[in-house]
Amino acid sequence: MELFLMTLTTGIMVGGIYALVALGWVLIYKCSGVLNLAMGELTLIGAYVSLSFYSMGFPFLLSLLFSLIIGFVLGVLTERIFLDRLIGEPILTVIMVTVGLSFFFKGIVELIWGTDTRVFTPPVFPLEPIHIGPLFIGQVYLWSFVAAIVLLFIFVGFFQYTRWGLAMQATADDEMAALSIGVSARFVYATAWAIAFMAAGVGGTLLGNINGLNISVGYLGLLVLPAVVLGGLNSVPGAIVGGIIIGVLQNLAGAYLDRYFPGGVKEIAPFVFMAVFLLFKPYGLWGWERIERV
Amino acid sequence: MSTTFLPCGVYHENYAQDHAWWQARFVKAKMILLCLLLFVAIPLVADAYWISVCNQIGYTLLGALGVQLLIGYCGQLTLGHAAFLAVGAYTSTLLILEFPWPQFLIDWGIAYPISIFIAAVVAGVWSVLFGLPSAKVKGFYLILTTMAAQFITVDFVITQYVSQIGGRGQAFSIPPGIIKVGPWVIDSDLKIYCMMLCLVIVCVVGLANLLRSRVGRAWVAIRDNDISAEVMGINIIKYKLLAFFVAGFIGGIAGAFWISNLAAVSPEHFPWFWSLWLVGVILIGGAGSIHGAVFGSMFMVVVMEVLQLAVIPLADTYPKLLMDFLFIKEAAFGLAICAFLLFEPNGLAYRWWQIKNYFNLWPFSY
Repeated sequence: MELFLMTLTTGIMVGGIYALVALGWVLIYKCSGVLNLAMGELTLIGAYVSLSFYSMGFPFLLSLLFSLIIGFVLGVLTERIFLDRLIGEPILTVIMVTVGLSFFFKGIVELIWGTDTRVFTPPVFPLEPIHIGPLFIGQVYLWSFVAAIVLLFIFVGFFQYTRWGLAMQATADDEMAALSIGVSARFVYATAWAIAFMAAGVGGTLLGNINGLNISVGYLGLLVLPAVVLGGLNSVPGAIVGGIIIGVLQNLAGAYLDRYFPGGVKEIAPFVFMAVFLLFKPYGLWGWERIERV
Repeated sequence: MSTTFLPCGVYHENYAQDHAWWQARFVKAKMILLCLLLFVAIPLVADAYWISVCNQIGYTLLGALGVQLLIGYCGQLTLGHAAFLAVGAYTSTLLILEFPWPQFLIDWGIAYPISIFIAAVVAGVWSVLFGLPSAKVKGFYLILTTMAAQFITVDFVITQYVSQIGGRGQAFSIPPGIIKVGPWVIDSDLKIYCMMLCLVIVCVVGLANLLRSRVGRAWVAIRDNDISAEVMGINIIKYKLLAFFVAGFIGGIAGAFWISNLAAVSPEHFPWFWSLWLVGVILIGGAGSIHGAVFGSMFMVVVMEVLQLAVIPLADTYPKLLMDFLFIKEAAFGLAICAFLLFEPNGLAYRWWQIKNYFNLWPFSY
């Protein structure tokens, strides 16, 4: 029972980070219809940038801020250079451009920062675990979860209450209608990419704090896919719930199934779950069902 | 881009001529020249290095054919094709190493060809298994299930379980001399090259003929619009699964062929990167034509080799460059895919078609 509770809490906390990255993914999809397979590399870039600033001696929050700014700039640039021309192209073209981008970014990251694991030194969060009742929770997990939740609230508030956020909602809802009332769709696309870059950067930084930072943090970008499929591709609450469910599922599988199937169950479980889930509910929990007409 | 214009003065008088592969004497001459080039000129002129480059092209082409069939002809997006190559390679290796072959089969050198065939069938069935979701989902969701195929097959089943068979640990080493086709022991690049040519020709001709039969037309109909295809009376589930089977079959042949070139088979030979690479190859070559797969694999392999050749002289001055070449290659591949999709979305095959028609119609191009 204790093991179960421990795994559950860890899963929820890691899931919070997944939810944050998944939010960025859903945002791009909702606003511009781009299915982004480069999410993992976006997390890598953000994480490495903030780690570089942190090792230069800047305080953690400041380096996170720098990484957000750089993420914003890179997001706008990526959208302008690569994806702006692809509006209305077939789905395979768009997906493969993001795959190309992911290779490009990954190659660049490896060229600049190498492939060795790097850690945030000195550690950002204290190492002693916190006791809550019978549970031990690493402070890294707890603070990462708190940070992820705070950012999630900031993003959701941004969509609900600011002018930019409302413009993005309008575009996601109906692009033609949004254009006709004077919302600039190109501006919205660029903002969506910028926000995705920023969310992914924060997610990567938090994950890098947990296990150290290397290329495999980019695997997170693939884990986002089961999360968004679970929640429904175009649902923001779905992304958050899906992220947390995937986090829990992954940790539960690691704790309980590893005995029966030794080896990488933890990495595979989300994908198996997703493949089975798709057979029964192809539009996820809250995704829009598309009715196709010939 | 389907019609190729015939040169002036070529008329068809019956259907047999209209359906012929080589519709003019000129085309026949070109094809004979191509065969001479492939079978005589390259083995005579090229040194071992370029022969091995050709082998890589052939391997990439065999892998890309299945992807071309799925994506370019049947419209089923797949990002997990390396899994089926891996299944083929592992089935063949296991059969060769573990199966108690009767001695005469080994002496006659039929063991390896039989294992290639069995590997192809196993890979095809495995591919159908992961193609089952295509009955219900399509587009992006299908990409996800094929990705799941990659991770489940290579990273889990093969790494954790198949690799344990025979207690060899991570990699299956293939003793030299064990791979035999007929009287020849496949031990040099040149012999691999000959085997590669035969397999490529069989696969390309087989696939090209399949594509202009009822099956191929059904696939194209499904690609263009699966709902209208169903309305026209095509059993789309059957044909989609058939497409997965054939793609997996060719993938299995590719994997089983490639073990002749490897000293040891290990899961690292079939990473997710390789699946994406194959999709990149057909996009650069041009989706929806066999030419596309050929040009794409030639382009990608040769460009990467040239890139490597360019890096080696620079390595004296910048020693770090050689270490970083893998990353440069990755970034270059990514950028190449993006650039092709943005600026040349029809791929190299489209350019080839334009050039060919220009000469066919010359000097009266109207």
